[in-house]
Amino acid sequence: MRAAAVVVSSMIVAKQPQVELRHLHRVFDRTHAVNDVSFEVEAGQVFGYIGPNGAGKTTSMRILATLDEPTSGDALVDGFSVVDDPERVRRRLGFMPDYFGTYQNVNVREYLDFFARAYGLHGTERKRALGYVMDFTGLDVLADKPIDGLSKGMKQRLCLGRTMIHDPSVMVLDEPAAALDPRARIELREMIARLADAGKAVLISSHILTELAEICDRVAIIEQGRLLAVGSVAEISAQVKTDTTVRLRVVRDASTLAKWLKARSDVDQVRVDDRWVAFRHAGDDDAQAQLLREIVDADFRVIEFGVRSKTLEDVFLEVTKGRVQ
Amino acid sequence: MSDVALRAGDITEEANTGRLDAWWEWFEQRLEFAGDALNPILVKETRQAIKSRQFALTFVMLLIACWGVTIGGVAIVGPGIRYMAAGGDLLLFYYGILAFPLAVIVPFAAFRSLAAERDDNTYDLLAVSTLTPRQIINGKLGSAVVQMGVFFSAVSPCLAFTYLLRGVDVVTILLLLGDLVLGSLGLSMIALLMAAVSNQRYGQIVVSVVLVAGLLLVFWYATQTATEIVRNGPMYTGDPGFWVSVLFGLTVYATTMAILYFAAAGMVTFSSANRSTPLRATVFVQQVCLLGWAAYYWIASNFEVEWLVMTAIGIGLYWQFVGALLTGESPELSRRVRRGLPQTTMGRLLFTWFQPGSGTGYMFAIANLVAWALMLCAASALAESWGTSTHGLTVGLLVFCILGIGYVVAYLGIGRLIVAMLRRWTIVSMLGAFLIQFLLALAGSGIPYVIQMTTAEMRNLPYHYLQVTNPIWTLSYLIDDRDLPPETIPLLIVIPGAALCVFLANLPSLVRETRQSRLAVPQRVVEDEAALHPEPATLPSSPWDEAGITE
Repeated sequence: MRAAAVVVSSMIVAKQPQVELRHLHRVFDRTHAVNDVSFEVEAGQVFGYIGPNGAGKTTSMRILATLDEPTSGDALVDGFSVVDDPERVRRRLGFMPDYFGTYQNVNVREYLDFFARAYGLHGTERKRALGYVMDFTGLDVLADKPIDGLSKGMKQRLCLGRTMIHDPSVMVLDEPAAALDPRARIELREMIARLADAGKAVLISSHILTELAEICDRVAIIEQGRLLAVGSVAEISAQVKTDTTVRLRVVRDASTLAKWLKARSDVDQVRVDDRWVAFRHAGDDDAQAQLLREIVDADFRVIEFGVRSKTLEDVFLEVTKGRVQ
Repeated sequence: MSDVALRAGDITEEANTGRLDAWWEWFEQRLEFAGDALNPILVKETRQAIKSRQFALTFVMLLIACWGVTIGGVAIVGPGIRYMAAGGDLLLFYYGILAFPLAVIVPFAAFRSLAAERDDNTYDLLAVSTLTPRQIINGKLGSAVVQMGVFFSAVSPCLAFTYLLRGVDVVTILLLLGDLVLGSLGLSMIALLMAAVSNQRYGQIVVSVVLVAGLLLVFWYATQTATEIVRNGPMYTGDPGFWVSVLFGLTVYATTMAILYFAAAGMVTFSSANRSTPLRATVFVQQVCLLGWAAYYWIASNFEVEWLVMTAIGIGLYWQFVGALLTGESPELSRRVRRGLPQTTMGRLLFTWFQPGSGTGYMFAIANLVAWALMLCAASALAESWGTSTHGLTVGLLVFCILGIGYVVAYLGIGRLIVAMLRRWTIVSMLGAFLIQFLLALAGSGIPYVIQMTTAEMRNLPYHYLQVTNPIWTLSYLIDDRDLPPETIPLLIVIPGAALCVFLANLPSLVRETRQSRLAVPQRVVEDEAALHPEPATLPSSPWDEAGITE
């Protein structure tokens, strides 16, 4: 009977989101750093949290990590409130801030060992965790090296190792790719993808949008403390009604085609480059298909017709206004 | 030797090596278990200290100083060492050498250790771990104890040497060292509290300057006291009162340490947690201890009423101070605190005042003060009825207590109202509220004093009603003479009346605060608790249980 109850309970738990922000507000004097922010992150999902500097990303993440309290609203981790049950949240959450936070006269193994102890790991359990984390982050070869002597990339790996030492189900990573070289970024991206594959909910903020675009299942865009959009990049793109960049290659008469296009009301910013014609088109997929049909019917010999899909950067620029508070 | 004998020898050697390995493995396992039981911060900081140049340098300098004093001392005394009692003088040198690291370096290192966590951005990493605030404070304090132990180990052979040189007895040495260790521990605790309070860089600089100055002062005082004790000879012989006073000192020390400890832990606790109840409980325990000691000293003084008056003064100041801190707490209880509120009528009646909140803090201070006053007056009346005290003194004490309570109720209440009003517009921290209370008491006492002192007509008057807001002048005027002065009746009307008005003004918010009810623990927390601490399987109490034939 008891076992059955546990199974039912775990099924209920499995359904709930790993991270849930409910109408979160944080006010510092006259600054509304976080203003009614709500979103959810499921297990195994990488969730990108993007916004300009001072948008409120770090503040929300600090609240989630139980380092700060919301003025109103709540944030839940695995169903536990960060305000009411911070100890339970801490057992389930790993937080990697945007600074290293290292100690003097401590080597890699001692540093990780300290945090393993701080998370209550004992004996063989601690040894196993240390071995796994050092293997995962590739720090096993640097185990006896003093932290002060590590490169930025290695320090970042160490911080990721510290964040995951207690095997949390939720990981909150604040600007983990900042100040890393391209190789280190790629390696970090791979590690994050592996963490998500292992079923962890990963909330990650970054300024490098190309990094996020490749690994994030969903993103939230925040500006001036307000959440502007939440969803996958495709979903947000669809929500934002904007012009699409279309590129055409024709056999000849590129300039004639440009004149033909300029006469249309749904086309703007027409540019000609040799046999290429690029322009902005205000319309959805059907409208673009109709446009192609009309171009062909007008006896222009089209070799290529391409629509550049929106990147996360495009979406970000379209959604945000570049305001700061 | 035959081959068989050689092989037998090899086998024995292998068996011995195997046994040694097994023993070593067993020993390492035990060490591992012991290491697991240690505080993580203590382990980390000990590892850091072993590699730290600063620590090594201090230790080596301490050793060199001890050796220097030993060689120099022996050289100066020369052959006289055989018959002279030079132990006392040498002990003072060694005491000075040991007192500096223990009174200055160890407490300051404890301060820096916690403050540096904030400077180096590692405090957040500790805060998000599952380390409890008490574990953090324990770790830092434990690290200070380890440092003390290391410094002691360097000086201890020299201390033993002073005993061999005669001129100082072992009890004096132990008392001085015990005093130094407890002092160092207490100073480290204060330093940790100061580090926990000053979380801004600017504040840290100011606090560290104040702390260093204070520590140097303590070092100077400790060496002066030690000199006096050693030069004047043993102070404990034939005086049981000395050991009683040591016990009294230890009681005050232990309870104050506990208060400082809970205060420091409270400062690093997440703000929605209950930081007040452990502190209030410790303050209450200290009160009970002090009550016992007050009773002892009163009996020892042959029931002198002066003892009771002195106790009343001390307790009044104590509760004004504690009350000023407690009334600065936020009146809003977090959901988390509300989960732990007492539920039963008796529980609410007795323990509501131990819960956080400005109003409960106000009531806690008043209730304790009134209880003290009642006990003091009852004691005085009892002494009068036994004939051991002069008749009529109880009335004086009663008047003194009524006016004293009136002042505390009025000042704390007005301060609380001011803070509540300010909190409508801005954030007022607990320390800010304490400062307001302090300034209020200062203004109430200081302004009338200055006016009277600067007015020619009033300057020479023993008392003027202008001083009605000045508790120091008013109460000292009351107890100045055995007979109560003529101003007593008007004062007994005005001060308790004002206190009653202030109390009534505080009453609505106080009632609102105490009416907050207990919240149910969320289902998710109940589930998690059950998973973390599963109920032990019930053992069958009879063969029928085992067979499943139960009701």
